[in-house]
Amino acid sequence: MPYEFKLPDIGEGVAEGEVLKWFVKEGDPVKEDQPLVEVMTDKVNVQIPSPRTGTVGKLMAKEGDVVKVGTTLVLISLPGEQPSTAPSPQAPPQARTPEVTLQGPSVPEPGPASRALATPATRRLARELNVDIARIRGSGPQSRVTDDDVRAAAGRGGQQAVVLGKAAPAPPTSSAREEVVPLRGIRKTIAERMVRSKNTAAHVTHVDEVDMTELVVLREAFKGSAEKRGVKLTFLPFIVKALVPALKEYKFVNSTLDDAAGNIILKKYYNLGIAVDTEQGLVVVVVRDVDRKDIFELAGEIESLAEKARTGRLSLDEVHGATFTITNVGGIGGLFATPIINPPEAAILGVHAIKKRPVFRDGKVEVRDMMYISLSFDHRIFDGAYAARFTNKIIETIQDPKKLLTEVL
Amino acid sequence: MKSADVVVIGGGPGGYVCGIRATQLGLKTVLVERDRLGGECLNYGCIPSKSLITVSKLFEKVRNGAKYGLKVDAVSIDFVALQKWKSEVVSKLVSGVGALLSGNGVEVLKGDAELVDKNNVKVVTTAGIEQIHTKSIVIATGTRPVSIPGLTIDREMIITSKEALDLDRAPERFLIVGGGAIGLEFASMYQKFGSLVTVVELTDQLLPGTDIDSVRVVQRSLENHGVKILLKSKVASTEKSTAQVKATIETPSGTTSIEADKILVSVGRKANTEKLNLSAIGVELDQRGYIKVDEHMMTNVAGIYAIGDVRGPPLLAHKASKEGIVAAESIAGKPTAADWKVIPDAIFTDPEIASAGLTESKAIEAGYSVKRSRFPFAALGRALSVGETEGFVKIISNAQDGLVLGVQIVGPEASNLISEIALAIEMGATVEDIALTVHPHPTFPEAIMEAAESAAGHPVHQLKS
Repeated sequence: MPYEFKLPDIGEGVAEGEVLKWFVKEGDPVKEDQPLVEVMTDKVNVQIPSPRTGTVGKLMAKEGDVVKVGTTLVLISLPGEQPSTAPSPQAPPQARTPEVTLQGPSVPEPGPASRALATPATRRLARELNVDIARIRGSGPQSRVTDDDVRAAAGRGGQQAVVLGKAAPAPPTSSAREEVVPLRGIRKTIAERMVRSKNTAAHVTHVDEVDMTELVVLREAFKGSAEKRGVKLTFLPFIVKALVPALKEYKFVNSTLDDAAGNIILKKYYNLGIAVDTEQGLVVVVVRDVDRKDIFELAGEIESLAEKARTGRLSLDEVHGATFTITNVGGIGGLFATPIINPPEAAILGVHAIKKRPVFRDGKVEVRDMMYISLSFDHRIFDGAYAARFTNKIIETIQDPKKLLTEVL
Repeated sequence: MKSADVVVIGGGPGGYVCGIRATQLGLKTVLVERDRLGGECLNYGCIPSKSLITVSKLFEKVRNGAKYGLKVDAVSIDFVALQKWKSEVVSKLVSGVGALLSGNGVEVLKGDAELVDKNNVKVVTTAGIEQIHTKSIVIATGTRPVSIPGLTIDREMIITSKEALDLDRAPERFLIVGGGAIGLEFASMYQKFGSLVTVVELTDQLLPGTDIDSVRVVQRSLENHGVKILLKSKVASTEKSTAQVKATIETPSGTTSIEADKILVSVGRKANTEKLNLSAIGVELDQRGYIKVDEHMMTNVAGIYAIGDVRGPPLLAHKASKEGIVAAESIAGKPTAADWKVIPDAIFTDPEIASAGLTESKAIEAGYSVKRSRFPFAALGRALSVGETEGFVKIISNAQDGLVLGVQIVGPEASNLISEIALAIEMGATVEDIALTVHPHPTFPEAIMEAAESAAGHPVHQLKS
């Protein structure tokens, strides 16, 4: 019997994924652990390797299809079997998720999302119309399947013809004057999360400026040894390091508000989210335990995570678990921005372009390397004065090379 | 030889409902029952126990009436009258089931059934042996209590739930072995009737599998009323004399012995499959002896179905009835399936426990980001005005979208409150849906609304702690 390879539950509430690319064709031999397919979930793109050695049978989803967790993606004939093009009739309707190794965390049991959200009467209607409700993408809130969705699916010829991802009513199409771009994947996640953040957190942005002159010198000094280690040293690892003493002293910045329980949870670990601009949209990669890594390790890690983000090779544990986020908005231009907090964190720091500006020092005008920083914080968790003191601490650390040096190494 | 479309074996809440629905769908149906229509539930379970529990609660309430200004001199229980009333309740319902079956045209045969093959059933009646040729068979033979080594049921001193419902007085000292739903309902009831009750439970928790917070409330209430609870304990042996039975019990703190007038064995139940000739026909059982079925209630042998207790837990009458309907509809060729999301359950301890959907730990296991919100009955007007303030409503919802995943209720009328939750979960309701639904005041269901408001982040009658 051929092995039915189903979209595994990749955790973190991921309910569906879009098939981006097949690495195999029907009839291809495939080895265990050889990449089969690349799937874009709303969190991250994942390459899913084959759990078995055998021959690729029928591909059950096309590139571009959105498939739910638990849907059969491909049949793999095991050695000694005739390649098969149809799923086995004996296969139980809700088969277990196959064992699959991902580039990320281990695969849990079939998750909560495997069940269609529909009322009992709608579920009965689906049975009456011989439509597999689990394969319908609902048009209602939370992808709820409605009677109309079921009838529309039945109108397309029952379960054989139900096109995954095409919710009823028929989606609008592009015309000469307008183009319809489906809100999917990373874009959809950003849309949902940003609105949730704005609706939940009481956003305030505190702006200050920091004199980067000493740091510019310091970075120059370290550049050579960084190159020897094969890493490119940007300002970001230094800023990450400068944040650590501030986060440690002002612990409410490194926290999460559990609104339900009415608790603020202070994190005693320092996982920094770094916002990376990619073609699909903004992705926040997570550098773990930054307080325990030196500047070169941080630089290397940030570089490799950013590269993975741009090429869609991140694993799930590289995109969640941040306790505080930095977004670098200075690369393209602008004075300063007011970032949106990455929920459920308490604050986000925007860093900007370093520009030479005249400043007063000891009664004289001097040209210094200056940078604006903006801290957006959740006023539910702490207040403006606290945010200002936290920001002062960062500035102090960056402006005093001795202090920074003790953090850097 | 008789012929039929369907033979239903067993006339309990699974079998009789299946029989009625099958005839309604135009199938010629014969129902075989070896004892009394209504099965365990009507005759030896739900109905008689709830009758007695109701009186026990009333008795306690009246006895303690002085604090409500209710003064009654010398209240006592007349067990003979009580048992007579209980039997009348049961008889009325049993004859009602008979009337429903005959009114719908189901033929009822009294006797023991055995499968000859997948199309023939042999029934041994008092009048002789009758064979029925049938297209389909529905097995609804239920379960029976089991015992454990060292505890031989004699139905006099060492009894099952069936005998415990027919006692002519409350045993002075009542030892209950097994702290599951049945054991604890009897513990609650007989404590109120005046027995000195001890409960022995093998595991480290009463009502294993039930939400621990809910169990804690019931355990505390039982202990406050003088029920002795021994967890992680088991009866090693018993020694009977004419007047009493002495049980040797191994507890974590050593071996102890308890003298009792009666011992109730409520350690579990076993599927009634042995006399059906199933193995010869090839009907598969699971490891615990229950019949394996698919979502249409069909066994691995086409044409043979199994419903209710005999096909596996939860052992609940309402689950059996719904499965009976699914089996009848499947046989009639209707599109149907056992696709409900939840099977609510209710335990009639004092206070009651009821639950539907996932518990907190199960929801976390299933990968949800879980939000938990509680509303205590002590803060509810209706609960105070009834004088029953123990317990709470606990809602487990999905943190991301507020979808109601499960609810546990421990407190007054929990068994009646849980249906709203079952509907909410089947409909895919969110906590906001429940919070925005107007609930009448002053009533117990307001506790559900309050817990939902708290889950939705805007509690009114509860401070955000």
